Amino acid sequence: MPGPSDALLAVRAGEGDEGAFEVLVRRHSGLLLSLATRLLGSRADAEDAVQEAFVSAWRRMPEFRGDAMFSTWIYRIVTNRCLNVLRSRRPTQDLGSVPEPTAPEHASSPGRAAESTAAVEALSEALTGLTPEQRACWVLRELHGLSYEEIAEVVGTSHQAVRGRVFRARRYLTEVMGAWR
Amino acid sequence: MALAEDDDPTLPCGRTLSSVWSRAEEDEGAADDPHLAECPYCREALSRLGVLHRYVSETRQADEAESAGAHAERIAERFTARVMDLVRTELRPGRTLPLGEPDDDAWITEAAAAKAFRTAAERLPGVHAGSCRVTLTAPGGPVKVVMELAAGLTWPVPELAERVRRQIRSAAGDGVGMYVAEIDVRVVDLLDDTGDDKEEGPA
Repeated sequence: MPGPSDALLAVRAGEGDEGAFEVLVRRHSGLLLSLATRLLGSRADAEDAVQEAFVSAWRRMPEFRGDAMFSTWIYRIVTNRCLNVLRSRRPTQDLGSVPEPTAPEHASSPGRAAESTAAVEALSEALTGLTPEQRACWVLRELHGLSYEEIAEVVGTSHQAVRGRVFRARRYLTEVMGAWR
Repeated sequence: MALAEDDDPTLPCGRTLSSVWSRAEEDEGAADDPHLAECPYCREALSRLGVLHRYVSETRQADEAESAGAHAERIAERFTARVMDLVRTELRPGRTLPLGEPDDDAWITEAAAAKAFRTAAERLPGVHAGSCRVTLTAPGGPVKVVMELAAGLTWPVPELAERVRRQIRSAAGDGVGMYVAEIDVRVVDLLDDTGDDKEEGPA
């Protein structure tokens, strides 16, 4: 049997069913942790942010009406939490000091731990040069494959604004990654 | 080297960088646009984006590898336990419902009663309970139960509704100790379980 749908579980959680909420947490935590890790550049910070997001979601579950998808709703809570963390960090990034990225290793085998390749590290490093808003839009688009409309819903802006941010992020990243002469 | 907000350069061929990149993103390969395939400036712009995309796909692969397999499951399990420890300390008692005789001063939370009724409904194969509201029809009782559920296509709806009502009535009487005057069963979703009936299959 397929498991109960997110929509069904979210309604139950809204009525106080902890077991239903637990299934939602288990189902979505992997993707959300990987999102937050890319947004914050730190696994430990990501775990804190996603944990806080879920606790806040639990408190707000009774307001969840099911007109949005649960996944979009929880993406929004996690993304906002991460944006707040990024905005509160002191602007210590001197963009001139971003190290030269190394070339991707195309012959590498899959299955190794994240961050183990130079390419992944170089990209993570380059992401720190983006504004929090550009970073969020770019990560949701390129690493999580959301549509511009979905991202607009998650970050609470127009899809034109999202397009602009993703474009500027790409321009910056192509430049920093050494692809732009 | 921060980018200006309107920093969208026009290539020597007259196209803007953003238009070239978005064509490449939206029409896979942009095969219907001969200019893109022939123009050296556009091709150069696309190859720059292509370099970035190789970094992107390495990163996606790393993230996917990280979130698959037994290791990832253990991490998810540990993380879920951490979150639920916090969630369970949150007080969200909700409404209470009287139990037994009016003088008994015994009560149960709506959430606990709903949990008992959902569990009872889900003893039927292929049934997933959703919303379950338990409300007083008059001060002091009895109660009315409104349950929404999703069920496999193999259930005829009238029979399903009757079986669920019976389950709820017996859970209310034998388990909770509550008199239920009215039970409203709403099937909100039908699940295609015809090809995936593992529970009834041979062991």
